[in-house]
Amino acid sequence: MTLTPIVGQHDAAVNTVQVRVGVNEHLANKTLPAEFYDRYLSRAAKNRQPDPNPASDEIQLELSPQELAVGLQYSLTRGLPDLQEWVYGLQTTSHGREKDEGWSVSIGAGSQDLIYKAVTALVNPGEAVLIEAPVYAGVLPIFQTLDCEMIEVETDAQGIRSDSLRSTLDSWPASKPKPKVLYTVPFGCNPTGMTATLKRRLEVLELSREHGFLILEDDPYYYLYYGTTPRPPSYFDLEKKQPEIGRVVRFDSLSKVLSSGIRLGFVSAPEPIVRAMELHTMMANLQPSSLSQVIALKLLKTWGYAGFRAHTERVSQFYREKRDIFEVALRRHLAGLAEWTTPEAGMFVWFKLLLGTAADGGPAEDSESIIRTKAFEHGVLALPGTVFLPSGRKTAYVRASFSLLPPDEVNEALKRLKVAIIDARDSA
Amino acid sequence: MVKALPAEFYQTFLSDAAKERKPSPIRGLYPLEAKPGVISLLAGKPNSTTFPLDGVKLTARDPSSSSPVEIEIGGAQLQEGLQYGPTAGLPCLLEWVYGLQELEHGRKKGEGWRASIGSGSQDLIYKAINAIVNPGEPVLVESPVYAGVLPMFEALHCEMIEVDTDAYGISADSLRKVLENWPASKPKPKVLYTVPYGCNPTGMTATQERREAVLALAREHNFLILEDDPYYYLYYGIGARAPSYFALEAQQPEVGRVLRFDSLSKILSSGIRIGFLCGPEPIMTVIDMHTAVASLQTPSLTQTITYAILNAWGYVGFKKHTESVSQFYREKRDVFESAMKKHLNGLAEWTSPEAGMFIWFKLVLNSPDGEDDSEALVRTKAYERGVLALPGTIFLPNGRKTAYVRAAFSLLPEPDVNEAVKRLRDTILDARQASA
Repeated sequence: MTLTPIVGQHDAAVNTVQVRVGVNEHLANKTLPAEFYDRYLSRAAKNRQPDPNPASDEIQLELSPQELAVGLQYSLTRGLPDLQEWVYGLQTTSHGREKDEGWSVSIGAGSQDLIYKAVTALVNPGEAVLIEAPVYAGVLPIFQTLDCEMIEVETDAQGIRSDSLRSTLDSWPASKPKPKVLYTVPFGCNPTGMTATLKRRLEVLELSREHGFLILEDDPYYYLYYGTTPRPPSYFDLEKKQPEIGRVVRFDSLSKVLSSGIRLGFVSAPEPIVRAMELHTMMANLQPSSLSQVIALKLLKTWGYAGFRAHTERVSQFYREKRDIFEVALRRHLAGLAEWTTPEAGMFVWFKLLLGTAADGGPAEDSESIIRTKAFEHGVLALPGTVFLPSGRKTAYVRASFSLLPPDEVNEALKRLKVAIIDARDSA
Repeated sequence: MVKALPAEFYQTFLSDAAKERKPSPIRGLYPLEAKPGVISLLAGKPNSTTFPLDGVKLTARDPSSSSPVEIEIGGAQLQEGLQYGPTAGLPCLLEWVYGLQELEHGRKKGEGWRASIGSGSQDLIYKAINAIVNPGEPVLVESPVYAGVLPMFEALHCEMIEVDTDAYGISADSLRKVLENWPASKPKPKVLYTVPYGCNPTGMTATQERREAVLALAREHNFLILEDDPYYYLYYGIGARAPSYFALEAQQPEVGRVLRFDSLSKILSSGIRIGFLCGPEPIMTVIDMHTAVASLQTPSLTQTITYAILNAWGYVGFKKHTESVSQFYREKRDVFESAMKKHLNGLAEWTSPEAGMFIWFKLVLNSPDGEDDSEALVRTKAYERGVLALPGTIFLPNGRKTAYVRAAFSLLPEPDVNEAVKRLRDTILDARQASA
């Protein structure tokens, strides 16, 4: 049987692709020594046989002609089958979820792409949606484009406030359709840096059953957890224990662990939702890049899941050290001038500037004007918290990212912020 | 010196959705980082030292010689490819696009247009349509048309006004008639979608005369032209190449009616997903805001790899490469056409394509009701005989019956072509016999 295909292919202009992969020297120098882990490793772990192919030093990966051919040609809307398989395996390893549970995966051009499509698949214009607040600013325009009524759900040092969520839903007007989705970033939330505790997650799951909403679990910092207490399981994991499964739409990203510029993420969600997203992709951008997928897949398969976890653990430690440096500087320069809770995942610190009292006698609650004026004058910039509030109201909070700056610049930045805050208080 | 239409001109062309888009408040602070000595804690970017890719080496064909060219991507270039980047695209690749558009189409910066990189031209076409067309509005669509664009219009519940095409491309006469007979009370269509080179599925290429007539109509009746041109570099006709709409509009009293979509899918790689759009600044701004929300940006890494190859080739190498690609498809066309002449004489009618990878041919089935239907045939008798071609109905905006089919000659080796076309012959003969 001869099939006349719909798309054409010319002999590849690109013949081979090789990728050099390794633990970056800089990162290797910062890696904590092996003995450090002795008190953390379980007996089971200590009893395992050494991996004959440990991920170490630099390795050369070469794409075979077949792999390259796949990377250069059109491929499936949901992503390369082998990469989908890798994701299924990861979700089993990381979250204990198996293939035959009614959920499917799709690869996307970053989790942003998938969140955008999921929201479009689930929410009608004008509908109410539940959004934890403060929230990742990049998700707000998705809801704003749909003219959603964004119902803010409070958060605190333990993550999303399930009690606040409960009262919102318990007092929902009977005549009004309840929100169908809750958007939450449960690990190292951007901007607050907070991680939801197990208790809070279980309560939210319970509420999702009771009040009929789906949970959009946006989890790009899942693998960037460095807390001292055991890692709370994901919603995707926890829902296994519920009477029925299929309320969680889970978004993973490779942006913080592999590369942000490669634009790869994946969704694990009930098949009807993944199918709706697939139809949107067919029209809007056909598929995620085959070449990006082939390169990522080569690396991930070479590492294996153990290698992947080892890498993410190193990345977590890297960010934990950065957090430590930042916090030392915070305590040194901003004690009494700012309040914050230590993050245990991700790359952000969310801190409240103590700016004194406002003209009306209440607390001064506008970090944005301070940033644009006093802070800028003194040569430092942090992100005003207002951009993370669905309502856009004023707040005294700012977000700082500790991912990039070296220690001396961190010190200098916070020293300048101290001066700016004191200046602002004095001028008030 | 070309005169650009002013920004205000586009207010009536922007959709309601476009007008509601807002710039990112975070990006609004980035200019402050430029102040010397400022330490910024703004950007929420991961630290690229944690990215485990240390280098990318690839071998590409050298268009000017038979030996391959080795390309190594490392250092700052690789870091750029691994990290978040600007929404509209990496500066190096954008500069390359500007250079190409000047060389190919004589269009320069400062004429009121700018470029954006997209995840394939599909991505950009989708966003352009969303930036311009409101739900329910009428749009002009040449017919038959690339099937992949129909769902975009359908999702907006557009009234798709078909514009006839023939062996010389889009029929300016047909377009003129549609517009001159347009009911005065009804807002005119704001946009025309056309694939001027090697149109998918017809394979036809619009002549210069037709293009100029369409441009004149665009001025007269105030519509924008979406010039979707993925086969521009796959032209192998004997006659001189007709200039693009983007090039030709420079001869109009003002420029700014053409949105030009280029794709690297048929030249470099379809799987890499890289395309670019050159269009009026106000529309490009809206499209970039859409990208920022929908996917942040076209992947940096694939842009870096693309640029590395294009830069290694230079524009001369790029042209040489596209010429060899064109020759490749011309030879494939020749093989396919000769099989058709051998086996389908009197059984099918077609016009020879001069660009792209498709042949559009009409099956002469002699149905008793006079309505030859290729779809029914393909799904039954053709399938039974072991050959498939794409029923033409999927390329008609209004989905009506047609006797046409589309075949792609891009992939099959010669023996398979002969066999396929022979089976098609047998299928048509079967059908004729059955209806006799």
